[in-house]
Amino acid sequence: MRRQILCLSTKVTQNSCTKALPLTRFLSSQEAIDRRYHLFTLEKKRQLDNVGRIEKIEVQYKGVPKSCTLIMNKGISTPYDCARHLSEWHVESSALALLDGSVYWDMHRPLTENCTLELQNFSVAEPQQVNKAFWRTCSFVLGACATIAFKDTVPVKLHSFPGPDIRSGSFIYDVDLPTLSDWKPTQQELITLAAEYIKLTRLNEPLERLEVGEELALEMFVENEHKTKQIPSIARHNGKVTLYKVGKHVDISKGPMISTTGQIGRLSIASVHKINGSAEGDVKQLYRFQGVALPTGVMMNHFTFSILAQRAKKLNPVKSPIPKPVEAEEKEEIAMKG
Amino acid sequence: MALAIRWSSSEVFGAAKWFIRRDCRALSTIPERAEEQTVSPKRERQATSRVRISARNPNLGLRHAYPEFLPDPNPKWRNSLREKLERSDMLKRRNQIDIPEFYVGSILAVTIADPHAQGKTNRFVGICIERKGCGLRAEFTLRNVVDHQGVEVRYDLYDPTVQSIQVLRLEKRLDDKLLYLRDALPEYSTFSFDMDPEVLPEGTPVPVNPVQVKLKPRPWLERWERQELKGVANIEEHLKEKDRVRRELRATPWEKYDLMKQYRNTIPIEDQNDIWAEVNHQLRQLQLTRKTTARKRTFTTPKSQLG
Amino acid sequence: MNQADVSKLVSKLRVKVLPRHRNLPGPKGPEGRIDKLRKTVTGLIKFERIELNYNRADEARQYAERLISEAIRHGDCHKPTMDTADFWLLEKELVHKLFKVLVPRYESTNLSYTRLYNAPRPQYGRSLDKVVLELRGNPYPDLLNNKSNNRLLIQNVLLDAAKNEYRQTKIAEMAKNIGKVGATQNTDSKINEAHEKPNIS
Repeated sequence: MRRQILCLSTKVTQNSCTKALPLTRFLSSQEAIDRRYHLFTLEKKRQLDNVGRIEKIEVQYKGVPKSCTLIMNKGISTPYDCARHLSEWHVESSALALLDGSVYWDMHRPLTENCTLELQNFSVAEPQQVNKAFWRTCSFVLGACATIAFKDTVPVKLHSFPGPDIRSGSFIYDVDLPTLSDWKPTQQELITLAAEYIKLTRLNEPLERLEVGEELALEMFVENEHKTKQIPSIARHNGKVTLYKVGKHVDISKGPMISTTGQIGRLSIASVHKINGSAEGDVKQLYRFQGVALPTGVMMNHFTFSILAQRAKKLNPVKSPIPKPVEAEEKEEIAMKG
Repeated sequence: MALAIRWSSSEVFGAAKWFIRRDCRALSTIPERAEEQTVSPKRERQATSRVRISARNPNLGLRHAYPEFLPDPNPKWRNSLREKLERSDMLKRRNQIDIPEFYVGSILAVTIADPHAQGKTNRFVGICIERKGCGLRAEFTLRNVVDHQGVEVRYDLYDPTVQSIQVLRLEKRLDDKLLYLRDALPEYSTFSFDMDPEVLPEGTPVPVNPVQVKLKPRPWLERWERQELKGVANIEEHLKEKDRVRRELRATPWEKYDLMKQYRNTIPIEDQNDIWAEVNHQLRQLQLTRKTTARKRTFTTPKSQLG
Repeated sequence: MNQADVSKLVSKLRVKVLPRHRNLPGPKGPEGRIDKLRKTVTGLIKFERIELNYNRADEARQYAERLISEAIRHGDCHKPTMDTADFWLLEKELVHKLFKVLVPRYESTNLSYTRLYNAPRPQYGRSLDKVVLELRGNPYPDLLNNKSNNRLLIQNVLLDAAKNEYRQTKIAEMAKNIGKVGATQNTDSKINEAHEKPNIS
């Protein structure tokens, strides 16, 4: 397996990005997902193997029912494991961990040193960071949903999603659908998208985090020219790219994210807007998928939620990731699964 | 209506005379105002409290003169609609005849329609020993000694056969109920039927008569020694050691502090405010008309020597 | 039908009062009942949160409410109120607490002075209803875990933003209308617009 990775990395070093591009022709989107997932699991296993001899760390848990000290494995145990030592309620409700009172840490990210641990759910006194993580996760899962919702004949290239802004009223994902030049989703299609999204949340998949090197990241996103362009700027600081995986879907995100997709409760995919780019830029147009969601267990009247859903229908004012807008051209048939 | 009536024909004449001559007298609502003033400086100190603000309503003073406007404090018998209707009926009746302000201890003369009496009316004078009931069922009991025989008549305040109620002497006594007059010497409850009404100067508070009556020797109708009466002078003379011991045994010194017992016997300020706001205007109007008519009478009526 | 007692004025309690008191039976009769309630009221004023059986708690709650409302109504210079406080509070330093701490705390409130919560009762054993009785504004952490009023919760943030946006659009609309009205001198349209203002949230 290590040999495989080595093989890949050598391949990446040999071939430049432009040389790798022809490979994309042979990858359908499902194949690309599988390949990325495979690489992710391999890399994850490799990193776990790198831990080597297991060392113990002391994690001081603070909070209900009572504070205690847990002896965990360095580099292996996650806050999620700590929660499993406490109770099922902790496991299900905790969205984010707070280390040493200042560092927000994913629930599925291994702990590296002695620390104090607080588990944060959606109803803590100061939930700003948890809310942001929730909103980010919603965008992330929306990308996963958009990739699997279309038929194989429609290639889907995820572009990016902006940082979480809850007050804007909707979480978004900008997607490039190169074969659909003028697509306006019908209500039925939006409902289908939401159904796909709900299927994902029902699976209750954990959101796994992995930091990989730039080369491997480029290798993973080789068929997606938007991501390959973004990766060098992301990796500029320390040469690392943070990836998240939910189910088989792998995407780039800064994190942190909430614990599982099961924590996303009521939701609505409100609208898909077309954003036009300038004619001379490489990206002509993008589709902005918008939705609104609430955490599991938040009770809200249907009328109140309909207000939020209506508001999410408007185009989110976050700055478009592509330069100037120009007029769109042709029309094309849409084709969607389900 | 009447528990027992002993009556002589001469007094029926007297009743008619009194009824014609002195119908009513001016009422004073000053005492309540005076009471409010004594308490007010303390209240003003902490003006922020909502509780205090609601208690500062000047209408609350009406509760002494018109206690029957307050409903029964027992919540089982409350019915806001019935209470409201009763209050409006009471005001209508008060527009028909003049029902003056009086207290337990005041001496009243009441004239009622009596189809069997000579002249169709019946007048009785006596000291009010008890006021009971609320709403249209309010009642009071007059006591007098006629021909060495104690007589008590219970009248309904809003009885349509009552033709007039006249206060002959407006005063209070030391106790809330004067039922012990039944066991007191007869001179304490003897009042002549041709008593002249005494007019208090306007603005004086209702005087409290500090007289302490003397009880007859036992047997008594009730165990007066256990009731902590202030208006009885010689209760200790008639007690045996056994009675004193039992009084000690039966004493309930904690009842004075039983806050919820007090609460269940009263109508809270907030409820009273609503009630008085409803009837205040009409009651004040009635007081004004009574005052003006009384003033007219004092000037116009010639002095009669018929007495 | 009884006449209400008019010699005393009491302020209305903000808690439910049963038509009749509970006897709280015991060998000492009514006096014992009052003694029990005195102990409970003293404990409540002292500790501000106590756990006990429902019947006794409900009775003691009414007495505590009455005591505090009397203290608020008359203040500490009123002899009968002072006597009452002296009777009900078995520890005399609590009289100072009543007048100096609790009266300022509750003077301008619209709510009851105490709260009563149902407490869990043991699965086995005597099945008496247990409750927690507490004074409002006590220094302990809240018993109920209802934090839905927190403005930072995600649903509240979303709703706030929606409300804000709605207001902004309405204000913009009104501003536009005012401009239009100023130009055309047509006041009717403005009045019509002003009436169509539904409220969200």
